[in-house]
Amino acid sequence: MASTTTSLKPIPSINLPSQSHRALASNFSYSKPFPFHGLNLSSVTETSSFTSSRSSNPFTTTAFFFNKFKQEAAPHTPKPAKVQELHVYEMNERDRSSPAVLKLSQKPVNSLGDLVPFTNKLYSGDLQKRVGITAGLCVLIQHVPEKKGDRYEAIYSFYFGDYGHLSVQGPYLTYEDTYLAVTGGSGIFEGAYGQVKLHQIVFPMKLYYTFYLKGIGDLPAELLGKPVPPSTAVEPSAAAKATEPHGSIPNFTN
Amino acid sequence: MAASDKVQELHVYEMNERDRGSPAYLRLSQKPVNSLGDIVPFSNKIYRGDLEKRIGITAGMCILIEHKPELKGDRYEAIFSFYFGDYGHIAVQGPYLTYQDSYLAITGGSGIFEGVSGQVKLHQIVFPFKIFYTFYLKGIGELPEELLCKPVDPHPAVEAAPAAKACEPHAAIANFTN
Repeated sequence: MASTTTSLKPIPSINLPSQSHRALASNFSYSKPFPFHGLNLSSVTETSSFTSSRSSNPFTTTAFFFNKFKQEAAPHTPKPAKVQELHVYEMNERDRSSPAVLKLSQKPVNSLGDLVPFTNKLYSGDLQKRVGITAGLCVLIQHVPEKKGDRYEAIYSFYFGDYGHLSVQGPYLTYEDTYLAVTGGSGIFEGAYGQVKLHQIVFPMKLYYTFYLKGIGDLPAELLGKPVPPSTAVEPSAAAKATEPHGSIPNFTN
Repeated sequence: MAASDKVQELHVYEMNERDRGSPAYLRLSQKPVNSLGDIVPFSNKIYRGDLEKRIGITAGMCILIEHKPELKGDRYEAIFSFYFGDYGHIAVQGPYLTYQDSYLAITGGSGIFEGVSGQVKLHQIVFPFKIFYTFYLKGIGELPEELLCKPVDPHPAVEAAPAAKACEPHAAIANFTN
């Protein structure tokens, strides 16, 4: 496909919108309470009694008629699916020419029209292993002056080497935590659905994600280490940063 | 896979009131006619189907795929979300044809829409200012009363109720997205 964007020079490394410097200095609210966001509590309490088998096709033929009548009498609620939590850290180490702030609105302030393709490194939640990268696009929706930040619509993927990838879509607000939709995945993440919480630690260099995944098999132990609680000083282990064999997953995405 | 096959309908009006700088038509193809390469980020207001409550916004982009001269319109690939304030959001992807109705895929959601699947019908009333959506949602709990209504039938003169336009407290959902 011939490139028609030769007139657009992606700005290498960091070219942060001016608001970002104010944002770095201002105090972040780490997480505003979201009354409706978060786990569907009924599914959390019920998963503790779940076995590890997948919830698809639960009815045997002998049970069919019993369940059919039960279903007609009972109120309609979706059967809770097993939820698996996955924690990852996204780090911008300034060596992937990211982000590329395309000021296509041609306005001095962040405005609808600006596009921000990006790609950063991804580490396991315990910061012991490099797993891969993020890759995708942020669409600037509006500047929010009273919050000294911006609203983006983010569409991107998380790459986990040989394990596969997860795709997400949803809001990225530079001034508060958000939940994005998990739209699908491949490899071990094939059929994945659910939501992911985005927690920004240091705009836009360090982000911490908590995935609430449904519809997939048990995640490998390698991805389920005890997560390091997010703080401004978090850094990947030296071995992970250096992508030494014991500090990375097989064929980690780069 | 979500076990519930119950389908819930949700009706939403998307209105471009020309006060959000939207759409931003990026003629990156650098051609005089709409061409592959053009990208159109957008964000509009959304109201409940009876036009009595302001709900939030849409946010995302349309990728121009092909101009259709014989139909006097264009095919876009649209990737965007509907924001429902504290309730969460619904993400969609699919065709936007300026000359006829289409169905988009519901790719996921958050909050009360976490785990959602299904499709949404896009019905354009007045291009590109007024669009009526009918969501066919699966895999989620019962929708709150506040989002359900008897929708106003789409026609070119539809407008949001003045109280909803003004986002008065009784005419907007809690922390409606803006």
